[in-house]
Amino acid sequence: MRILTRVIAPIAIAGLALSLAACSGSSPTAATAKDASGPLTVWVMGDSSTNFQKLVAPFVASSGQKVDVVAIPWDSIDQKLTTSVASGSGPDVVQIGLTKLRSFADAGALLPLDDKISAYPDLASDKFADGVGGAATAVNGKIVSVPWVSDTRVLFYRSDILAESGIAKPPATWDELRSDAKILTERGKGKYGYYIPQWDNALPVEMTWAYGGSVVDSTGKINFDTPAFQSAVDLYTGLYADKSVPINSDFDQTQGFVSGTVPMLVSGPYLAGAINAAAPDLAGKWNITTLPTADKGTSLFGGSNLGIFKSSKHQKGSLKLLDYLSKSSTQLDWYKINGELPTAKAALNTPSFTSDPLVKVYTKQLADAKVLPLIANWDGGVGTNLLKALNSIALTNADPKSTLATFYQSTKGLTAK
Amino acid sequence: MALPGIVSSPLARRRPIASRARAGRSRLTPYIFISPAMLLLIAFGVFPIAVAALVSLTDMNISGLGDWGNVKFIGIANYSKLFADPSFWQALGNTAFFAIIGVPSVVFLSLGVALLLNRSGNWFYRSLRAFYFIPAITAIVAISLVWGYLYNTQFGLLNWLLSLVGVDQVQWLSDPTLAKFSVALVAVWRGTGLNIIIFLAALQGVPNEYLEAASLDGAGEWRKIRSIVIPMLRFAIFFVTVTTVISWLQFFDEAYVLTGGGPLGATTSVSIFLYQQGFQQSQFGYASAGSLILFVLIAVITVAQLRARRADIEY
Repeated sequence: MRILTRVIAPIAIAGLALSLAACSGSSPTAATAKDASGPLTVWVMGDSSTNFQKLVAPFVASSGQKVDVVAIPWDSIDQKLTTSVASGSGPDVVQIGLTKLRSFADAGALLPLDDKISAYPDLASDKFADGVGGAATAVNGKIVSVPWVSDTRVLFYRSDILAESGIAKPPATWDELRSDAKILTERGKGKYGYYIPQWDNALPVEMTWAYGGSVVDSTGKINFDTPAFQSAVDLYTGLYADKSVPINSDFDQTQGFVSGTVPMLVSGPYLAGAINAAAPDLAGKWNITTLPTADKGTSLFGGSNLGIFKSSKHQKGSLKLLDYLSKSSTQLDWYKINGELPTAKAALNTPSFTSDPLVKVYTKQLADAKVLPLIANWDGGVGTNLLKALNSIALTNADPKSTLATFYQSTKGLTAK
Repeated sequence: MALPGIVSSPLARRRPIASRARAGRSRLTPYIFISPAMLLLIAFGVFPIAVAALVSLTDMNISGLGDWGNVKFIGIANYSKLFADPSFWQALGNTAFFAIIGVPSVVFLSLGVALLLNRSGNWFYRSLRAFYFIPAITAIVAISLVWGYLYNTQFGLLNWLLSLVGVDQVQWLSDPTLAKFSVALVAVWRGTGLNIIIFLAALQGVPNEYLEAASLDGAGEWRKIRSIVIPMLRFAIFFVTVTTVISWLQFFDEAYVLTGGGPLGATTSVSIFLYQQGFQQSQFGYASAGSLILFVLIAVITVAQLRARRADIEY
């Protein structure tokens, strides 16, 4: 066995090198992109490395390119990025949450892809959902990543509890939601109408979008000091003032929804999975619908993109892998294996996929969804300050005017793009 | 000064070369002995602080890390920004609060428990010693999980017990004021174990003769503790106080795992603030400036304690 690998490995490597040389010979533009041998290292977020390995198995079999998948826990990605940038030794392909994209690009960690993806039709910007393709996630006008999985926010509601309280259909507007929440709160002590996760920095932005506003002005600067945001603040703090939402920060949303303590909340597809896991017998008593509206019903386009590390010695192999992962069939397989929604338009429009009633709502919402402003450290910086301002008004009766003024001040000079 | 020189110089001149070399070597000997420790201290103590001091004068962030050309020298701008940052002042205030609550609690509680445990050496007391030491050696993640469940507003044991006597839900970790105490309580619970062991060890060093003599003189238990045991434990108390003060000024673990510094920054200590700035927002220059301020604070407070100790009586 040992001898076998000792003999075969050099032959395989030599063969690979030859075939690469042949490739580069035929296309002069790629003459410099000679890949090193050895496996591609891919960093995937969360704990889905086994599933990812399964997903890329056909790619490995057909291309002969081995792929090493490393799972990075979501909360250690910052340290991982820092150490890989400092040491100059990162992976080849990395999954990047959209709120982290700007940090990765600013660090100079990502390979600009504008001139590279033209050779791969599946990586073209118009192949992906408009909310996330091409310019929507370009940093400083440069494409540094390609869309991978999508995520959005929809309204979850307990149809049984709403009906018991005489509410025939889920609220279509935020005004309706607020009055419905009041009615549902009157069910008794310890019951609420709605739930605001105190860590969800996307919700206030979704509310601002609902009032027809934006948190980025026409010059690309972050600007929260707008009438639309003021309306969002009134809505957010109003729900607390109505006593329609629980005030404890350790509220468990899955348990709260399953037990009926909070019959309405805005969350993502992962909550549907969590509900099915926690209470499969609840099926039929809950449903989802697109976000309530005010002037608009724009939701969050979340999810992850894939980028190639600048220091990668496998640029060509990495591009091939990205191409494989962007195929509609691959993305639909990934939904089946791991439950994450695709980003490729072809996949999002596949009838067998959209026949699922939940998926139908997700894809409808994704068609009207935007990414959060691409600024460095959205989560640690602006997002944290935003929640701190809103929650201190809602929970500790801080003076709204001065609190918001401090918050506006803290976002000064930040540019998205 | 001149007199010994005159007397010794002819002697020294007459001394053979070899012995002079030996004298030189013997002068070097202590330095050779401490050099391994010194090198380690310089490599892992002095050098990082020097680097932090240097970085604190720059705008180092993640893009600077990737390309050194992006790093600019900005003088003391980080420090002036830090002193104008309300979050930093909040973190300093929280740290002071934790230290003022935590240090006396840990010192008095450990001393009290150690005195009680020292009363007997039978199996029950010995197993109690292990019991008190367990929090100190349990992984912080396990501690945070267990305490997180105890404190949970909806499902927590504490709120369930309170509900039995008709008390409303208490926001253990959600109320900004109460969260400070909840987090400090876990840290006190975790911090006493090791200090109890230190006090127990020191109690072994209190000579029985003194206590017997005092008993013969008619001293009661309380009198013996106050006039003999506590004075004999002076150094242990001092040691425990100094190390406890330092650990509370660097307070991080319990708040990080239980609340992440929340709610609304109410449990953000200086260390957590630095972690957020440095590792979550990649503002390395800014975080270095803050860490240097924390270092100076700890150094000043510790030196002040050491000075105060000098006036002490030795037994």
